[in-house]
Amino acid sequence: MTREDIIKTVNSALAEEFEVEENILDPEANIKETLSLDSLSLVDLVALIQQTYKVKIPVADLPSIQTFNNLYDYIEAHLPK
Amino acid sequence: MKRDVVIIGSGLGGLVCAFVLSRMGRSVLVLEKERQPGGCLQSYRRRGWNFDTGFHYVGGLAEGQSLHAAFDYLGLLSLPWHRLDPASERIRIGERMFSLMQGYEAFADTLSAQFPSQRKALSEYVALLAQTNRSSADVLNPRAEVTDWGTSLWGTGAYAYLMNTFHDAELVDALSGASLKMELKRDSLPLFTFLHGNGSYVESSWRLRGDGSLLVDALVRGIRSQGGEVLCGSEVTKLSEANGRLAYACCANGECYEADTFICDAHPAVACRLVEQSRLLRNVYRSRIARLENTSGMFTLALRLKPRTFPYVNWNQYIYREPGVWSAADAEVPAGGGLMVSCRVPQEGNAYAEQIDLLTPMPWSVCRMWQDTEPGRRGEAYAAMKADWAEACLTLAEECFPGLRSMIAEQYTSTPLTYAHYTYSPQGSAYGVRKDFRNPLQTVLSARTPIPNLLLTGQSLMLHGLQGVTMTALFTCAALVGKEKVWSEVFLREP
Repeated sequence: MTREDIIKTVNSALAEEFEVEENILDPEANIKETLSLDSLSLVDLVALIQQTYKVKIPVADLPSIQTFNNLYDYIEAHLPK
Repeated sequence: MKRDVVIIGSGLGGLVCAFVLSRMGRSVLVLEKERQPGGCLQSYRRRGWNFDTGFHYVGGLAEGQSLHAAFDYLGLLSLPWHRLDPASERIRIGERMFSLMQGYEAFADTLSAQFPSQRKALSEYVALLAQTNRSSADVLNPRAEVTDWGTSLWGTGAYAYLMNTFHDAELVDALSGASLKMELKRDSLPLFTFLHGNGSYVESSWRLRGDGSLLVDALVRGIRSQGGEVLCGSEVTKLSEANGRLAYACCANGECYEADTFICDAHPAVACRLVEQSRLLRNVYRSRIARLENTSGMFTLALRLKPRTFPYVNWNQYIYREPGVWSAADAEVPAGGGLMVSCRVPQEGNAYAEQIDLLTPMPWSVCRMWQDTEPGRRGEAYAAMKADWAEACLTLAEECFPGLRSMIAEQYTSTPLTYAHYTYSPQGSAYGVRKDFRNPLQTVLSARTPIPNLLLTGQSLMLHGLQGVTMTALFTCAALVGKEKVWSEVFLREP
């Protein structure tokens, strides 16, 4: 899966599941603010990524994921080979 | 008339929330779809006899033990409790017999006699049980030291822990043999659930002289005397919003009830279904809840015995055909998951048992083909399946109680389909959502939902069982009124 594929599928899943317009998902925007996430819906995000990509994000790694680019990077680096 | 709190479902979790909140002066209304309250605690009546469904015994009621303070607060300690024999759990696995005793020392000593090389490991195990029991309310205690102790137990597999601690499959079977009160699944059951599910019974074990409806009636009486309401025959079909908040619970009979806060005591998937439209309850939460797996269900064979045939036994008997208690849980073979024999305490002065329940895990796969049928109209194949399972239960039970068949006056059965119908538990699950040590973050649900004034309670959240659901309900109340308030009301109360 190329990075472009990841961005495309992540954005499409986020838009569908968080019920937002895809065009607001700016790569450098803050995820929590853009998707209005609280600590509870952060779990939803982790669950969604795990379900879609089989990539499990440990709680300890969450602080390093601030922007959408951080998220794409994380998935790209941890995708099962 | 607008209430402070409307509670959907009158299982133990819903009733405990209603009791606590009405006691704190909130106006509370409980809505129950069935004709009687109680959820998994309700009993049913046949030919003048009451039969239990989910309730059989409870642990930790003595002074200073894990359920004492909460049950005292709820007014449940004055019920006719009957303590089991010191060897309260007796386990037969193949030809081998084991006893689990009440009291930490007796528990470790008795097993050490059979497994002398394990004395040290057993002492450590009971110390862990004791710590679990002592700290069961710590989450509510504002002055308790915050540790990651509980978190690490959620992330540890119970089976792996037991095998790594004891390196003895037979002892692990013995220690797990009374655990039909949870789903013994190697690749999911967290150590936290295992310790909580067993710990309070090692403190002390009790039956009621009477059926589970005594608990339900006492709670409902308490709620009503505190100004709360419990309405049966009121099936909530929709939770709807007004001005960006949940505002109404509307029932199948057309009645709608307005409230500031809603607590759902049904399965979380039911809560999601009730909220048809909400900007706050987004797909992502709904899909996460929908993806959660559920624990397996139970088959129950309830027996009423001929008078003066079966001397009452004041302990629980567990019977497994062969070793491998942990691999038995998925068994589709009738009674392949092991059997629990639970005797109802007879009326005062009667040395003979009047009623006995035989319980065995029954996976949903056995029931799936009848999932769209209604009770009483499931057809002959279903009746035949139940007869097979009843037969297997009786065969296993007779290994410990020879001649039991000849003592039966009448018998009734229930399956996971029965639970699915009466409690809306998906797949008739006996213990709700399956907690998974590989993924506690997602499988151990919070009482809070994305909708600020919709809370959850019941066995699908943190803990199941009588003690677990009671504690979970206190956590739910704490989410509404603050844990300091719950802690001071329930645990720091003047006697």
